Amino acid sequence: MLDRRNFLKLAAALSTAFGISNLPAPVQAALKKINPATLPKIIYLQGMSCTGCSISLLQANAPSPAALITEYSQLAFHADLSATSGKQSLNLINAFISGKAGEYILALEGSIPDQMPEACVIGDKPLAKYLEEAARTMTAAVAVGTCACDGGIPAAEGNPTGAIGLREFYKRRNIDKLVVNIRGCSVHPDWVWHTIVHLVKVGLPELTDGGSPKLFYAKKVHEQCPRYHDFQQEIFARNLGEKGCLFKLGCLGPDTYADCPTRWWNSGQNWCVDANAPCIGCASPNFARQKRIPFYRLAEAATQKI
Amino acid sequence: MKIDLGPVSRIEGHLNVRTTVENGTVIDAQCMGEMFRGFEVFLKGRDPLDAQQITQRICGVCPYAHAIASSYAQENAYGLRVPPNGRILHNLIQGANHLYDYLLQFYQLSALDFVDVTAILKYQGADPDLVKIRNWVKAELASGKPYPAAPFLPRLSGRYIANAEINIGALKHYVEAMELQKKANSASAIFGGKFPHATAIFPGGCTQDARIDLITNYQALIQEVRNFIHSKYIPDLIAVAQAFPEYWNIGASKGGFLSFGLMPMGPTPESKKLFAAGALFNGQVTPVNFELITEDTKYSKYSSPSGLKVRDGQLTPNPRKAGAYSWIKAPRYMGKMVEVGPAARVLVDYYQGNNPKVKALVKKYAGIVGIAPAKINSVLGRHLCRAISAVVIADFLLDETERLSPGEPTMAEIKVPSSGEGFGATEASRGALLHYIRIENHKIDRYECVVPTTWNGSPRDDKGQPGAMESALIGTKVKTPEEQIESLRIVHSFDPCIACAVH
Ligand code: SF4
Ligand code: SF4
Repeated sequence: MLDRRNFLKLAAALSTAFGISNLPAPVQAALKKINPATLPKIIYLQGMSCTGCSISLLQANAPSPAALITEYSQLAFHADLSATSGKQSLNLINAFISGKAGEYILALEGSIPDQMPEACVIGDKPLAKYLEEAARTMTAAVAVGTCACDGGIPAAEGNPTGAIGLREFYKRRNIDKLVVNIRGCSVHPDWVWHTIVHLVKVGLPELTDGGSPKLFYAKKVHEQCPRYHDFQQEIFARNLGEKGCLFKLGCLGPDTYADCPTRWWNSGQNWCVDANAPCIGCASPNFARQKRIPFYRLAEAATQKI
Repeated sequence: MKIDLGPVSRIEGHLNVRTTVENGTVIDAQCMGEMFRGFEVFLKGRDPLDAQQITQRICGVCPYAHAIASSYAQENAYGLRVPPNGRILHNLIQGANHLYDYLLQFYQLSALDFVDVTAILKYQGADPDLVKIRNWVKAELASGKPYPAAPFLPRLSGRYIANAEINIGALKHYVEAMELQKKANSASAIFGGKFPHATAIFPGGCTQDARIDLITNYQALIQEVRNFIHSKYIPDLIAVAQAFPEYWNIGASKGGFLSFGLMPMGPTPESKKLFAAGALFNGQVTPVNFELITEDTKYSKYSSPSGLKVRDGQLTPNPRKAGAYSWIKAPRYMGKMVEVGPAARVLVDYYQGNNPKVKALVKKYAGIVGIAPAKINSVLGRHLCRAISAVVIADFLLDETERLSPGEPTMAEIKVPSSGEGFGATEASRGALLHYIRIENHKIDRYECVVPTTWNGSPRDDKGQPGAMESALIGTKVKTPEEQIESLRIVHSFDPCIACAVH
């Protein structure tokens, strides 16, 4: 018997190959289960987060954020938007994660303090308790942002709380659950919303080894960068604010998988390198991890000045 | 009877408020920050230029304010002279961020405390957005599924606006505000690189050019936001105020006010500002002195010593410390409790007569709603001061764009010294924000942040004085003690951000 996870994978692969209507009846039927008719709800929990990822989700362009949380998914709970509060919200969250309120996708933003549970509490218990219980009932989880995927900023060297990401959290507890990793600090809204729409309408998107949709994370920033030509021609910016490839200033585009150079940010308004700002690798699992690897290398660029 | 109001929704982060209610009155309140990451710990030993990036991750709602405060602190530590364009671009990035934040705060975070969502069911008109919402809510309520129409229902019990037209108008603007906040953020991103978490802001300016196409683009976006502020946000706010006039008398904090001033109009962070800095006690404003700030930890979950000055700050987490009830420290100014935020920013400026526009707007709106300026210390006062800030900032940003010199430098050349220190202070949308950096051997030796909600959401200090929000809650009359929509409205008026407060 295929478990749900493998089934979704298979269904997704088949649907890419044949288109949904040509699928065998049982596959079609199973896909319908996660179709808009039974639109899975999203329970969005925040761990040790800065809420930047949530704010980024509100920057979605088309569809609009309002449509995304009502027509394309239903945001059953989000601490920043829900009208409800206090006990009422706890009842709602608990109804879902105890399995009494139907199917749902868990979205987690922020990391988990695995060595200091008191460092993240929702209502009457630590975040970790909710995540353990949800593992038994959720359809799948989406780790929203570098914190939720890999620990992110709270897990930077010195990490006083033992911050980790969701996959690691489940691994340490021998829990096998599908967690889709959407890296970025913050995430790009498209990366999350289009993944959720894909989950709902098509099934699981094809993932990289790091568990992220290939749709967005197959290539490095460097490979797609409009300044790649400058890189090859060795036309380098020597000072902040200069044109040219930003490699000598510390650009981490060569180490970071993400499609920023083609997708751009804020409804296509801009992205880091186009504003002459070196990529700081915010979508990398190692983002900001080590003290001895700074974001910028100004001194190095300056000593090479001709 | 002890009642927990947490987890409090429609704020940033993890907040519980433990209230004690007797005879329908809140006789005690404890604000409990329930999330801790330890920024000061992991900033130590890093490259100083990492700071304006790392500290933005303190808060993804107001990241630009942290980038600016960190940049100012580093500029002071490095002795940088920022070119005029660099200073203006800092302002353009930060100011647009303020505008988005005010819209988000009023519509997404606060409106549902006052506006009746279910009024949409009676909508008869033909506006496609509203028809869509009505049909959606109807279908949801008829669906029989658990928690229909979430996240807009369920909600706390209480009185909501009765006038259907006002409700429906506000709901339409709720949806529009979601679009408008994006425009403000797009404007920020033109010079900041992206939003949230700008990569183009640095101590010394901004890496983006001051190009005329970018400037024009920025102006157009801010103009749209400005129109929305005047034509929808302010009328909606006044409608809420008229439906709930009792909230001019509810939620006053019981201490002083502190503002660090917002947006320098000259080359250094210390130049004359759009909103002046100051500490306000009993109608008297004195200049801000960072040496007068101390942070108590008796009721905070740290074993580090209490009462330290900012430059001596320490952070040793002690999650199970006896008697401690919050991860938030208790900062005090001259040992006294203060409120920070929009009301403080406006009052501090108003009492000094710094910006004539601020004074005129306070008088104008106080006249329209029929209050004395002293009533600004209230739930509605905080909302009004956000709107006043929005009006003043939007006009200023458009003027600032005219002062840019296209083609001129936007960045100073950065040389990080082997040692040095500096303070950087600004106003985040939520209030007074202070960063302090000390550099030894080219690395960060100490980094301290005292953040708006650290002030407003603080627990008791060592002397037992409650924090600003606690003091505003104590004495509140509540109809349904288990839910306390009245207390929720007070908390929302402070717009707390726990990720900021604890960091
Ligand atoms: S990944 Fe970045 S933006 Fe998202 S919650 Fe973590 S720190 Fe904030
Ligand atoms: S700017 Fe960065 S991402 Fe672009 S080519 Fe240079 S090193 Fe690669």
